[in-house]
Amino acid sequence: MINMNCPMEMGNSELLVAYAAGQLNLEAKMTLERHLAGCPECRSLAAEQAALWKALDAWEAPPVSPDFDRRLYRRIQEEVRHSWWERVSRPFRPMPLRQALPLTATACLLLMASLLVKHPGNLHPVEPRAETVRVEQVERTLDDLELLDQFSTPGQVESTGSGTM
Amino acid sequence: MRSIILSCGFAIALGVAVSAAQPAVSSDRPEAPRQARAQNPIDRWNQMSPDERERALAKLPPQRARMIRERIRRYNQLPEREKQALRERYRMFSQLPPDKQAIVRQRMLEARQLPRSRWPVIRREVDQLRAMPEAQRRARLNSEEFRSRFSPQEQQIVRDITEILPAPPK
Amino acid sequence: MGSAAAILDHDAELMLRVKEGDGFSFGLLLEKHRAPVIHFLYRLVQEHGVAEELAQEVFLRVYRSRSSYEPTAKFTTWLFRIATHLALNWLRDRKHERGQERLDDGPGAYSRQISDRRPSVEQQLVYEVRLEEVRRAVAALPEKQRAAVLMHKYEEMEYTQIAKVLGCSESAVKSLLFRAYETLRARLAHL
Repeated sequence: MINMNCPMEMGNSELLVAYAAGQLNLEAKMTLERHLAGCPECRSLAAEQAALWKALDAWEAPPVSPDFDRRLYRRIQEEVRHSWWERVSRPFRPMPLRQALPLTATACLLLMASLLVKHPGNLHPVEPRAETVRVEQVERTLDDLELLDQFSTPGQVESTGSGTM
Repeated sequence: MRSIILSCGFAIALGVAVSAAQPAVSSDRPEAPRQARAQNPIDRWNQMSPDERERALAKLPPQRARMIRERIRRYNQLPEREKQALRERYRMFSQLPPDKQAIVRQRMLEARQLPRSRWPVIRREVDQLRAMPEAQRRARLNSEEFRSRFSPQEQQIVRDITEILPAPPK
Repeated sequence: MGSAAAILDHDAELMLRVKEGDGFSFGLLLEKHRAPVIHFLYRLVQEHGVAEELAQEVFLRVYRSRSSYEPTAKFTTWLFRIATHLALNWLRDRKHERGQERLDDGPGAYSRQISDRRPSVEQQLVYEVRLEEVRRAVAALPEKQRAAVLMHKYEEMEYTQIAKVLGCSESAVKSLLFRAYETLRARLAHL
């Protein structure tokens, strides 16, 4: 395609957005660039969009907390335990007192029985997976250590200049 | 009485049945991460294989990768006692909630931007405030003397670091 | 992707294994999608602690739904649909409570977010100011526009997938993005 319809006139600004994001294939990119050479309006929007893309690129999110997985697995395990107990205890509520007393005994003995009998899942710790540390996390730790070190060590600030690390 | 005995027998039988029928939780539940993570990320990084480390660094721009290697090398070369002190400071810092960590980082960055002659003054003030009982610390932070010795920005730095960051071990 | 004969994406295959009781596959899915989900939520709600709490809820729901999971869409579509739904609910609840949007992520959190790590503090300050403007501009977008931009820009999702996540038509997504980018270009032109 040698000539193309003006994206702005066609209401096809997503083509210019895709161009600014570097998402067009080579042929489409070259076709559009030929158009941009002669269309100030499209050229201006493409430039503005490219600048916006660059500004958005600089916005990194903070790294994930190191204990995120641990918290999640704890919640999952609590749910598993809770739903098991719910299923077991549901038939026993509500009840009049004369039924509740023997069933309270039942509940106690049930607890004892479950503790006495081996639970393969709960007693066998899961083998930990080998974990890798993300380099971004290492970099952040280095930054934090440098700050903490400069601020906490008497005399060190004066001698280390911009940082020990 | 009979109902209690029957209930007990039922309970034992039920306990056995439930235990046998309960899905193998270790295979059903997601695999748990490593439990003990007392080491900081740099120490854990050092325990990765060289291949893994290089693969991770290779994804970064070369200059950034070079800087990180250099900074890790300098950390690794610290005397063990110094490294241990740093680890302990980091451990206390990392136990803060993320929002508090962010405040402390920001205040420390702001402190670095101050003239260097102010760093020991601010640090001394933080050390002295930390050593005081709560009531005395409050009084000092609200005093005219404190306000006259430190700029508003410095006051905020001192206040936040004193109140949020635990004192490093002696 | 609706027919049984459709080729499943790898994540959907992993999720089907989770359905069969394979916990390790859940760990693989978590490892792959943890950061993108949290980062997406963080940019949407702009509070790190909240983002992680919402992300916990996302993965909890994924795990809870394992027995009824059917790969009727790409796994990431389903995942981000849950995440977007939770985030938009949170934003609406919070707006209702407070009457205005808050950008508080701790005054120093963004000092960690600058991708171009310059050695000088002065340059860092310049980047921090720019970054704050970007955050504010995105936070000022209406919620659906915001979600669409974040999925399009940071998750590199195509319009069809964004439409499925947001539960709207592809043309609606184009319209959302058109207006969002127009607003952002105008607001950040001075940077």
